[in-house]
Amino acid sequence: MRSECPPRTWRCGRGTHQHGVVRSGLPRVSRHRASPRRVDHGAGLQRTRALARWSAVSADGPHRRRVLAAGATLLLAGPVALTGCAVPIFVPQGPDPLESPARRAEADAALAAAVAQLAAQGDPVLAATARALAADRMTHAATLRAELRRVRPRRSSAGGFPPVAPPKADPDLATARGALTQAVRAAHEEAAGLVMTLPGYRAALLASIAACCASHAALLS
Amino acid sequence: MSGRPMPVDAVPVDAVPVNALQGALAAEHGAIWAYGVVAAFVSGRLGAQLAQATSAHQAQRDATERVLIDAGALPVPPEPGYLTPEPVTDAASALRLAITAETDAAAAWRSVVERSPADPDLRGAALEALTGAAVRATRWRASAGTSPVTVPFPGAP
Repeated sequence: MRSECPPRTWRCGRGTHQHGVVRSGLPRVSRHRASPRRVDHGAGLQRTRALARWSAVSADGPHRRRVLAAGATLLLAGPVALTGCAVPIFVPQGPDPLESPARRAEADAALAAAVAQLAAQGDPVLAATARALAADRMTHAATLRAELRRVRPRRSSAGGFPPVAPPKADPDLATARGALTQAVRAAHEEAAGLVMTLPGYRAALLASIAACCASHAALLS
Repeated sequence: MSGRPMPVDAVPVDAVPVNALQGALAAEHGAIWAYGVVAAFVSGRLGAQLAQATSAHQAQRDATERVLIDAGALPVPPEPGYLTPEPVTDAASALRLAITAETDAAAAWRSVVERSPADPDLRGAALEALTGAAVRATRWRASAGTSPVTVPFPGAP
């Protein structure tokens, strides 16, 4: 092996050592092991001058510096590549896209509950519709929250969601109905928009929510 | 990235979820058959609603068949006959059959949403079909007087 690899002889010299090891940024472990030639500075220095013909020297055979460099690259890049393989297929970067529909569902549920209470005397049909809407939007909120927790358990437990301010239902029933219709239409549009960008399971979830909101909008209008 | 159209052989094989679309097509065939039965028992305002529902399902059937043929698949034909969950003998049972047909269609189209790639064409059409089925089912439930009128997740298993 040693006879097949002539570059090793002069790379053991002091000058080449710095050149070869320090410049390539390799850690200490990559230094080649002590060899008898290491103390032979005379021969080493003489051979160092041959560095001028580096290309001629390095052309033959697999070079240790390259092998070491490749090894170090593998050491550094390996864990990164393995980590890349280990992460789940879908982890949303930045704010989770489901946070907005979850909050909207909570706000809609609160608004619908307020309208249902308001219309209980004057308009029983509207009250029943609003109650059904409040129940469905509550279910949406719970399911979306569960999905948010599933994907990023730490963020949810840290209390990343500010409480929704309870909306005020307009005492005028027609206005209240209009506000409810508008809210449910906006929810339908938001969910339908998200369906186009989210991965399979979440897209199906939002598609069902959009369909449910469209059903309520049809009942209200 | 460039403006050139993607070559045909570069399109991934699962760009069109053929199995899910065949399921949706089968549901459309079933819904069209079911509305044929329902038509014998409803009239007036519900009759208009029924005609609208039937033509919506016919349009979706045609569109789904076109997508499948374009994807190189043979569209499933309608069954010679279907078994209803209960005997259809009056308007009430006819409305329940209509609700069943829309529920089946919603489930089939939700599956297409879930399995189609995130492009607005196919997924958007599937979402529209799911929404349409959910709204029609809601209207039938309201007409039949069933409670609750809506379901929180139409098409969900």
